[in-house]
Amino acid sequence: MTIKPIIQCAAAQWRALLAALFTVLLVTVLPGCEPANTSAQEPPPVGGPLLLRRLTEAQYRATIAEIFGPDAPIVARFERGFRAEGLLAIGTSEAGISPFSIEQYSRAALSIADYVMQPDHRDRYLDCAALADGRFNSDCADQFIRHYGELLFRRPLTAAQRQRMLTIAQSGAEQLGDFDQGLKFALVGLLSSPEFLLRLERVKDNSKTITELDDYSKAERLAFFLTNAGPDQQLLEAAAGGELNSRQGLVKSVDRLLAGPQLEGAVRAFFSDMLQFDRFADVSKDADIYPAYSSQVAIDAQEQTLRDIVWLLVDQRGDYRDLFTLKQTHLTRALGIVYRQPVATRNGWQLTEFPETGVRAGIQSHIAFLALHAHPGRSSPTLRGKAIREIFLCQDVPDPPANVNFSLVQDDHNAAMPTARDRLVAHRTQPSCAGCHKIMDPPGLGLEQFDGLGTYRWRENGAVIDAGGDLDGLPYDDAAGLAQALHNHRETPRCLAENLYHYAVGRDTVWAERDYMDYLIAAFAKSGYRVDQLMRTIALSDNFFAIKTTGSDSNAAPTTALKPSAEPATMASDLPTPATGGSS
Amino acid sequence: MLSVNADSKIISMKITTLILCNTNRRRALACCALASAPLLAPLNSAAAALETPFWRDGKIDFVFSEFKFALATEMNVQDACPKGTSLNLAEIYAQTAAGKRQQNESEGDYGKRLQQAAAELAGQGEQNVCMSPEMAEPDPFFKTLASTTVTTEGIDLDGEISADDFTNGAGVAGIDNQFLRAVGCSRSYQPSGLSNGFSIEMLSGSWGILLALSEVDDLNNDDSVMVTFFANADPIQLSGKREPLGYATYAYDQDARFIAQTRGRIREGVLTTEPVDVRFHSVVNSMLTERPLHAARIEARLTETGELHGVLAGFTPVTELYDLQFGFRRGEKPRGTLAPEALRMHSANGAAFVLGYTCQGAYQALWRLADGEFDNTTGRYNAISTQYQFDAIPAFIVNAKTTSANQELVENGSAADDY
Repeated sequence: MTIKPIIQCAAAQWRALLAALFTVLLVTVLPGCEPANTSAQEPPPVGGPLLLRRLTEAQYRATIAEIFGPDAPIVARFERGFRAEGLLAIGTSEAGISPFSIEQYSRAALSIADYVMQPDHRDRYLDCAALADGRFNSDCADQFIRHYGELLFRRPLTAAQRQRMLTIAQSGAEQLGDFDQGLKFALVGLLSSPEFLLRLERVKDNSKTITELDDYSKAERLAFFLTNAGPDQQLLEAAAGGELNSRQGLVKSVDRLLAGPQLEGAVRAFFSDMLQFDRFADVSKDADIYPAYSSQVAIDAQEQTLRDIVWLLVDQRGDYRDLFTLKQTHLTRALGIVYRQPVATRNGWQLTEFPETGVRAGIQSHIAFLALHAHPGRSSPTLRGKAIREIFLCQDVPDPPANVNFSLVQDDHNAAMPTARDRLVAHRTQPSCAGCHKIMDPPGLGLEQFDGLGTYRWRENGAVIDAGGDLDGLPYDDAAGLAQALHNHRETPRCLAENLYHYAVGRDTVWAERDYMDYLIAAFAKSGYRVDQLMRTIALSDNFFAIKTTGSDSNAAPTTALKPSAEPATMASDLPTPATGGSS
Repeated sequence: MLSVNADSKIISMKITTLILCNTNRRRALACCALASAPLLAPLNSAAAALETPFWRDGKIDFVFSEFKFALATEMNVQDACPKGTSLNLAEIYAQTAAGKRQQNESEGDYGKRLQQAAAELAGQGEQNVCMSPEMAEPDPFFKTLASTTVTTEGIDLDGEISADDFTNGAGVAGIDNQFLRAVGCSRSYQPSGLSNGFSIEMLSGSWGILLALSEVDDLNNDDSVMVTFFANADPIQLSGKREPLGYATYAYDQDARFIAQTRGRIREGVLTTEPVDVRFHSVVNSMLTERPLHAARIEARLTETGELHGVLAGFTPVTELYDLQFGFRRGEKPRGTLAPEALRMHSANGAAFVLGYTCQGAYQALWRLADGEFDNTTGRYNAISTQYQFDAIPAFIVNAKTTSANQELVENGSAADDY
């Protein structure tokens, strides 16, 4: 369950919490409860456990593009991410790696190394070659391994790691009679190593209860949070020089990363995760009911929402809450068909606006939200309401009981109950269902003016749709009113701050971090709810790098399904064996 | 004008099942009045916008989703064509003594011999009957439709009921469709024949038709609306089932020859327009042609979902109709130059062979049955009445420069240009 600072407000609410009532109820009945810590000073760091996190597909791709260029091919299928506590970012430290993934990582490594060492490309990456007499050039190989090893491992290679890669390179070069081919297999080794595929965080001083990450782990955490890729050469140099230990040095690096073009990638990655876009792989729509839905619409829909987010939060440095009332949007012609809006641009994107007089506004009225949280052949106030509660307000909604009778709700041609509101009455009145449905349905019904794909409709089965409701004391008449209610809801910015912090550190908050969360939220509000400023606050906070090495909440060893050894070894058994007679 | 009821918050739609009434204009209103109540009850403006998303600021844009010749609604060929149907050159040759199948001649060999004979009869180059039908002998085997019992949907273009006119399924007479008379006894122009429609190229994005209504104050009754025809410059947007999607955006062809404007009126949901010359693109075998229609008029019903079903009718210059439908003599490459003669000639001869007629027979019939644009100098009509049935769905028409994502291939001279 998500921990809310608000919990500390009233002892009476403890009973509700212990009874596993929903956080939303607490919010609803405690409108006047203010955060305990709204000071501008960060509370003492609490820290969390050391983590071992697997690179996401987006991080893998961004890192490879950063190091070897955007054209470097990655020929592999990545395993789906595991979502925990609402975020894939948290799941990266909880899921194991299957044999299939190892195989695919190996394929990806081969495709990248093959590209890098092709005669047409190698000079971009290597300015030396085999010795004149054809003998193995150890200095050249060592230079290559040290440079790319540091970028890939996000810290300098140890002597043992360097020697191991050198041995692979020399063995490959001798067996294949080609210096570059030998280096190719050394690069495959680097790309297949746990040091590259996993984020292995290390602490400076394991003897303290609350300590902090070492310099390179700091650089790694900063880079993935602010750029969604590994640290660049400049950040690694800052780490090597100890600059990240001083406030001034840290500010310099954080501000440099926030000012760079990769901030967009970081914002995109976070919101893709938060908005659960990975689930689009499972979305299907009935072609007879929603003929406009296609794989292109699914792709464009996600991109639309991400473009709008980047436009408002990065380009305009706007207020996060305005995402819920935003009229400006980016459309393609494929999306224009669903939204019933003209799009003059035939190929590509056009910045336009939803009609001022219409009810559509904000990302919760986008196809990417409405179609994702709906059924293949009909809308779903329940799924949409649940998603609003969980994604935008961080309020947990339990799974339904096993014996729910869905037959009435699924009968969307019921003449006596033409609208979803009518059909859901049963669930809102039966005691076993009402608890959750009274929480989920109001915001979901507020979006009933959009069908299961996202096209506006005024009627369902001939009856005018009533989209009015109340969101935790904020009444609304239609989807536009719901957008304003979400904008004004006190949990909206708080939830974003929680999600962003969880995303940054790869874990849920612990109990003792409630003051820190209040500090973040206060800073977020003070900045005008600017997400880039919230990212800066997090990145500059002591708690961001803090690690609790002992005690009940933490463990000195990295926490994950995978437990690396103290000196991670390259997965030599998974490396391809150099074969004579040509490259693989 | 729009009737406004400010107190009306909830509108009760009074729409009954709409029946397509492609009838004589003088009878159309009565017919359609029987078929439906008013499209929309009086609405306040906000409610109207919600109920009719296709109608914005007095404008309604459409893209044609179906476009085909208005042929016989249904037809018993033996009754309608008592002298039989038209023959192609191979079939004509087969009726001669030399064209009979010989003993021990396999079916395959016989077929090849007939094709070879047909090719010899057709001639080559400028002497080919499809390339120069005016030079060919009259084709006695080409049959035209003389029946007075065949029904078809369409418009009375001349305001007169004459012997050649057709009657529609509801008994409304006076429909001028001499093109149907010309091709009605050719087997591919039967109700289920291959030439019944030509939407394959339209649905593949090769051409399209846009229609814009503006100054629309009332969807049921409006004495004056602006009607603009455009050629579509963008490919039509389809669903996964290859069905046209409503509310897609299209840019129109900026060439003024493909833009035509007239006025019209809406009476009880039926749009009728004043005559105007229109011109659209057409594509056959990757060759670009043009489809003109003079004094074109629309009679079509607007549905509550913003669709338009009806007839576009007018007069097609005979020579151009022959070229776009039978001879392809002016077929062009994508870059506007004349397509190779071999492509044009073989396309025309191949179509005649497969579809069962001769080029010269079609050419001669079109001229013989022409009924529009009388030429005092020659003493003959230069155009023939032509009726098209169409369906149109809501769209957005924009004035924008538009190019294909593959435009670079065209500009650089692609294989497609060289066939």
